Amino acid sequence: MMKYRVVIILASIAFVSCKEVQKEMAWRHSETIVLEGIHPIGIAQGKEGLWLSDGDHNRVVLVNKEGLIMHTIDSLDRPMHIDANGEDLMIPQYGNDKVLMIHRGTSSQVKITDSLDAPAGVSFVNNEIALADFYNNQIHYSSKGYSIDDDNITFGKEGKADGDFYYPTDVQITKHNIWVADAYNNRVQVFDKKGNHIRTIGEDQKMNAATGIYVSEDTLFVTDFENNRVLVFDLEGTFKQELTTAISKPTDILLVDGTLYIANYRGHNLALYTWIEVQDTTSQEEHHHDDHDHH
Amino acid sequence: MKIKVILLIMSLCTTIGMQAQKAMDSFEVQVDGLGCPFCAYGLEKKFKEFKGIKKVAIDIETGNFSFQYPEEKKLTMDAVISQVEKAGYTPITAKITRASGKIETKETNITELTSESEIVTQQLLVAGKCEMCKSRIENTSINIPGVTDASWAVDTRVLKVTFDKRQTTTDTIQKTIANAGHDTRSHKATQEGYEQLPACCKYERLDQE
Repeated sequence: MMKYRVVIILASIAFVSCKEVQKEMAWRHSETIVLEGIHPIGIAQGKEGLWLSDGDHNRVVLVNKEGLIMHTIDSLDRPMHIDANGEDLMIPQYGNDKVLMIHRGTSSQVKITDSLDAPAGVSFVNNEIALADFYNNQIHYSSKGYSIDDDNITFGKEGKADGDFYYPTDVQITKHNIWVADAYNNRVQVFDKKGNHIRTIGEDQKMNAATGIYVSEDTLFVTDFENNRVLVFDLEGTFKQELTTAISKPTDILLVDGTLYIANYRGHNLALYTWIEVQDTTSQEEHHHDDHDHH
Repeated sequence: MKIKVILLIMSLCTTIGMQAQKAMDSFEVQVDGLGCPFCAYGLEKKFKEFKGIKKVAIDIETGNFSFQYPEEKKLTMDAVISQVEKAGYTPITAKITRASGKIETKETNITELTSESEIVTQQLLVAGKCEMCKSRIENTSINIPGVTDASWAVDTRVLKVTFDKRQTTTDTIQKTIANAGHDTRSHKATQEGYEQLPACCKYERLDQE
């Protein structure tokens, strides 16, 4: 009898150990911040806090953790995918083809010699700047300060081939690359800093308007606007996870201190996700499984 | 006397000002191809080329686009249609309400019922995926001679269509919808027609029976 008890206990320990092994990490919805009267398009984190562009109301707002407006920059013309670094905030204005740099409340116009047609996204860091030029289907990049002049690199044309764009809406500079949300080709493209195409990501995921991107050290997040979801890839383009909870016409995404902020344009809110341990990934709706039907 | 003259001039100025404010033509256009703020603001951007444009409003979900423009500039229906197309979108319907009250329209439902009419309602499966698809499918249907009502649901992809059996058939309705780019059970849209749909409307193709 005693022998049987020992066997049962050992079996139980082994079972529990197996369950422990199955634990994995995944993104899970944790909170939704309601934004009263704000229709967010772009999102950026600066020294002062979280900035949101509100294209419908021609303004950019600084919000606190409750979603309340702390500061407003108004009289803009359709501000889109903004970017922030420290005390600097850059605002591409889709309606008048101008890009503003805001520093401690003082605004100046970014010098651009090229003729833009609806700048939809901007990224700037360490004297590098990249602009997504929506109607011209081009990306402008410079590493010589925050201006786009005659020395800049411009790449892209309308089309579906690698290196072509069909209305790019967002751009991000990383250490070695330039990442582009090629919105209406429903994909993300990666380039080196000379404009050479490196890889294309997400073409097999049936996205419908890849409007916004965020690239962390090891992960690419993409907002799939029409399908009300965010897709997560590794930097090589391997699909990892689909996020759908509390997402409504998302336009942009940002990772701050381990929390993922998703700007829901139609939802008029921010959906927050956290990276947590999950016990049984096969039973979780949002985690990656290879035979998933996305529609 | 001086005061009376001043009051008269002020009154005259006010009247002229009010007349000038009122002398605006109103335009309502339903546009195919809007789906996101980028598209909507793009259309707005192209119309800013019309100096003097006022009260621009765009409903991204339905594609309804409206604005006012000074009557004196006599903006024509053709010029509006041309500008929408220049912006990269397709006008589905358009209506101008002139300051005088005169109405001009681009589309019309020409169905006229008679004592011989035999009205039926049928449900048809039509491929599509978004609110823009809904607008296109319903507008295409309602403009078929004989059709009196049409409503398509995004979630079920079912078109509920009411029509006069003596003027049209479900086959004609499905063929017309397929010509607009949407697969039905009886007729498949041409590849060219499908490719011309806006990116947000690219649905899963439907097999025919």
